[in-house]
Amino acid sequence: MTNIKPNQNLPRGEVIPPVIGPDPSLAYGFTPEPVRAPTKPHLFISLPKRRGGKWLRSLRRDVRALRQSRPLTIAMFCLIAVLMLTPIVFTFLYSFFPKGEITTYLGLRNRYDATKWLDVLYAPSVVSLRQYYTILIEEPEYLKLFVNSAMYGGAILLGQTLIIPMTAYALSRFAFRGRDTLFFLVLMLMLLPFQVTMAPSVMTLRALGLLNTPWAIILPSIFSPFYIFLLRQFMVGIPGEIIEAGQMDGTGTLRTFAHVVLPVCRPILGAAAALSFADCWNLVEQPLVYLTDSRLQPLSVMFNKMNEEGQAVAFAGAALYLLPMLLIYIYFQDDILLGVQLSELK
Amino acid sequence: MFTRKKTVWLYLMPGFLGLLAFYFVPFFWGVWFSLTDGTIDNKFVGFQNYLNVWRNEIFQLGLKNTLELSLLCAPVIFVLAFLLASLMRKRVAGDGFFRNALLMPYLMPSSAMLIIWLLMFDYGGVINRMVTAMGFERVFWLEGGALRVPIVLLYIWKNLGFSVVIFTAALQAVPESLYEYAALEGAGFFRRQFSITLPQVLPTAFLVFVLAMVNAFKIFKEVYVIGGAYPEESVYTLQHYMNNKFAKLDYQDVTTAAYSFAVIVIVLFLLMYRAKSVRQGENAA
Repeated sequence: MTNIKPNQNLPRGEVIPPVIGPDPSLAYGFTPEPVRAPTKPHLFISLPKRRGGKWLRSLRRDVRALRQSRPLTIAMFCLIAVLMLTPIVFTFLYSFFPKGEITTYLGLRNRYDATKWLDVLYAPSVVSLRQYYTILIEEPEYLKLFVNSAMYGGAILLGQTLIIPMTAYALSRFAFRGRDTLFFLVLMLMLLPFQVTMAPSVMTLRALGLLNTPWAIILPSIFSPFYIFLLRQFMVGIPGEIIEAGQMDGTGTLRTFAHVVLPVCRPILGAAAALSFADCWNLVEQPLVYLTDSRLQPLSVMFNKMNEEGQAVAFAGAALYLLPMLLIYIYFQDDILLGVQLSELK
Repeated sequence: MFTRKKTVWLYLMPGFLGLLAFYFVPFFWGVWFSLTDGTIDNKFVGFQNYLNVWRNEIFQLGLKNTLELSLLCAPVIFVLAFLLASLMRKRVAGDGFFRNALLMPYLMPSSAMLIIWLLMFDYGGVINRMVTAMGFERVFWLEGGALRVPIVLLYIWKNLGFSVVIFTAALQAVPESLYEYAALEGAGFFRRQFSITLPQVLPTAFLVFVLAMVNAFKIFKEVYVIGGAYPEESVYTLQHYMNNKFAKLDYQDVTTAAYSFAVIVIVLFLLMYRAKSVRQGENAA
């Protein structure tokens, strides 16, 4: 609009005479506004593009929103956000307390004495990294479990990266007999709790000789129905034109997969990776059933058993345990939002 | 869409074989399990196992608790998610931060939160301070029926953000012009919510509810983290029953209980699927 060249022949501000011809209101159902010549002389200087990265722009948007916003809603949001983050923040805070202070503090629990309260501690007497030192260097048991968890997570993620996009591609962009039945089965398995197939899974894994090895955890999780479903939903939504355009140029299915489908899927792949890693990090049921050797257990199962002995370092343990997920969340937050929005059944 | 391409097998096979080995075969093998007697001849006994398991009191307790816990979690998550999502429909300052704060717990491992939860729900802890501040007696949160409260709260803390995000997306998809027309026609706030928001998001709302329900059936990690393998009677879920039967190598009972439960979940899912078809029918019309 701003680039319309003003009609130099017209005096400024004057009404342009109506167009000669049939009444335009008959054609469009409304009377057009008489066009006026611009009242100001036009500037033909293009404004410089707004600078600032994504962060600055979102800040600007927030400031603008603040001006026209509802303070009550914001106050409520803040309250809820604080409530949601409090457990995480306090876990990190307490991890910097000296061990003695934590032991004393935790010892004060379970006094069923109606006259006494458990104080909330806000600051340590001395900021100390002693808890971290203990779990990382003095007693390597925690570190071993942590490495177990990371190993399971890494192996599962690697396997999923290889298998799941391919399977989802086959289920979404190919027509073959039995596809819908297969997809329905995947969907159903996604909804059922793990325990439904627990006993026969153990028999199967035993028959394959995998029981009580790390593979018992890794292999089934690689073929997780939920992530097949999630990716398939996204791939179904890719417009057919993009793929047909490739077909016109003679690309085969593999080229289409590698150069068209996967790049389009980038955000959902990020989301799936983050959510899947979170799942592995939080595995409880499978290791309990598939692994009898406690040295193979991941942190998620052993964490609280360990705590019973070493309460003094419980918070550093919990904080370190949360840390990878926190970083992953921060890094993938936009993708995760998208992934969750997509996990609605469509 | 590729049709009649042989290469599909190349893409499908690895995933299909894995699904077959680790999901489909166990699933159907389990059906067979639940219909046989588990002795050496493995006789076919029909529905005898089902009758036995359903008469088992511990199974009944587990089923009752699982259903009750889900009926507690799902509506609470649903209502909270709807309220928060309708507030978030319009952008306000810092709602990106708020959404992240809500969704972040979804990734946090439950077991790492145990220690802070025990502190909060201690007899002298923060929660009891609030309770007394409101003029009630202190509660023994970690025993008996009250133990459900910390578990349900841990579950809600973890899963609320998930529903809020789905709901917000659905609400933001409702065209703004509908509200403007309604406002022009003189519809008030509540009238607008009931006549526009509700019908527009009803299919999503139903899905959120059923998903919350189905996921609440899987509430086990939280109970295991707080209560262990043999928790208080009030939170002994069906999954505990199955895990403990499993530990006793009673595979018949495990699978029978599992499929009884699976039937419930699948019926719910089919209801959801029907609602989905109804919605698509409406859209097509």
